[in-house]
Amino acid sequence: MRHDALNFQSNGTRSRDYVVKKRATLTFPKRAVHMPVTYRLAKDFNVAANIIRAQVAPNQIGTLVVELSGDIDQLDAAIDWLRSQDIGISTASREIVIDEETCVHCGLCTGVCPTEALNLDPQTFRLNFTRSRCVVCEQCIPTCPVQAISINL
Amino acid sequence: MRTLAEINDKIQARKAVVWTVEEVKARVQESSVARVAKEVDVITTGTFEPMESSGAIINLGQTDPPIKIRQCWLDGVSAYSGFGAVDLYLGATQVAEYIGAGDVPDAEEFRDRGGGHVIADLIAGKQVHLRALGHITDCYSRASFETTITCDTINQFYLFNPRNLYQNFIVGVNGGDRPLFTYLGPLQPRLGNAVYSNPGALSPLMNDPDLETIGIGTRIFLGGGVGYIAWEGTQHFPLQKRLPNRTPIGPAATLALVGDAKQMDARWVRGCYFKSYGPSLMLGVGIPLPVLNEAIVARCAVTDQDLVAPVVDFSIPRRVRPTFGLVSYAQLKTGRVRIDGKAVRVAPLASLFLSKQVAIELKQWIEAGQFTLTEPVASIPMDRAFLAQDRWGSQITID
Ligand code: SF4
Ligand code: SF4
Repeated sequence: MRHDALNFQSNGTRSRDYVVKKRATLTFPKRAVHMPVTYRLAKDFNVAANIIRAQVAPNQIGTLVVELSGDIDQLDAAIDWLRSQDIGISTASREIVIDEETCVHCGLCTGVCPTEALNLDPQTFRLNFTRSRCVVCEQCIPTCPVQAISINL
Repeated sequence: MRTLAEINDKIQARKAVVWTVEEVKARVQESSVARVAKEVDVITTGTFEPMESSGAIINLGQTDPPIKIRQCWLDGVSAYSGFGAVDLYLGATQVAEYIGAGDVPDAEEFRDRGGGHVIADLIAGKQVHLRALGHITDCYSRASFETTITCDTINQFYLFNPRNLYQNFIVGVNGGDRPLFTYLGPLQPRLGNAVYSNPGALSPLMNDPDLETIGIGTRIFLGGGVGYIAWEGTQHFPLQKRLPNRTPIGPAATLALVGDAKQMDARWVRGCYFKSYGPSLMLGVGIPLPVLNEAIVARCAVTDQDLVAPVVDFSIPRRVRPTFGLVSYAQLKTGRVRIDGKAVRVAPLASLFLSKQVAIELKQWIEAGQFTLTEPVASIPMDRAFLAQDRWGSQITID
């Protein structure tokens, strides 16, 4: 069940002058970890990759959450190129979901949220989630001691 | 002013005036300690926080043929069986070794469950898988046993928690350069965040700092059922340095609590897991304070401005960790504190929201005449020295 008191707003893609921003989660096979992906995106496609979260280690499957921005056609070409490199790419707009039945309002997640999308009401000390501030960095997910936070696709 | 017997008569007649400690603090600000003391009979306090030194005593009832259990797992979590044949003690932080019969996983996803979750599941009425290995003797001929238990198919099921209800605690930070995963949750490097775990002015033992109204035998709210203060808690350290208002500047008194888990409510007993640290148990505990004199109200009027906790650096893995001095709970509850000249986001670990709810629930029980107060049968020692007592606080000076 979703948190009634939470403020849900959609978090889609924005466009201006044909420059499109897309949030994407890239999953790297072990052998692609050493590839200079952001450099190739910039040089070959003129696509800027703003890294929101990275989990990359030698000999492990890596994940990178990026915000890609560039010309709409070049962005699509860049995504095709990433796929051709066996890099998993998911552009579905992923959203943080907080299970109200499970949340105990301990507030632990508020201390790791970089954007203060999660905070405690100063009077009631109930958890507040401002979806429009959430950058889906996922820091809060492993922090929650009762696993009340998940991500939906 | 009034005696405990008079208060109980009023409770039974449903005439007692019961306020939560928050209401008392607000009313004292508006009027005076003397006026409030005249009006109110009972003050309720509550907390809801992880209390890892908790566990459950379980008696299974013998099998036929009987078994002397020497090793036992409940949903893969090992329970201690080194006493009577089918008596078990399931500790809150014991890590699951397997999920179903035959599994031997070692991935973190299996380790994120532990004794706290099994206790909470039993209280929630869920089925729990039990596997036991016995020692064959002339009295006990069975070598192993496997079954499914629930709260209703076991004889005794009570929490016996050796250390609950810390009177104050610490604020954890990480001054190092790699993330740390602690019993206070993740601490990010270079003072990336801070965590405090005591609910401050709501906390039961902050409102009776010298444990004058409570003691062994005091009836309390434990996990949504009725419990009792059993003893001083482990690591009980009443000699911690104290402010002039008598509240300690760091971890001090603790209590051992006991209560029938069969009466408890899953809402107030929750398994929890701290990433890369381990499982634990979150528990709601409420203590009623009888208003026998004005001094009791004066103690309960303490506010978050008047309470402090030490900021402790977890990046130094030593018994005596360096500290960044003391901060007030009023500062902590704003969500931001200044540490070493830097503004740091700070989060609680106790649920302040549910702590307030515990006090409200206990107030309702007393108002409904369902819960009377008890005179302690003995006091909690307040002169107990702490061996290796420099652990938390004595390196801090309060002047
Ligand atoms: S995903 Fe990141 S930004 Fe969004 S709520 Fe969680 S911690 Fe905050
Ligand atoms: S950490 Fe989990 S339980 Fe605590 S407030 Fe955040 S979502 Fe709720």
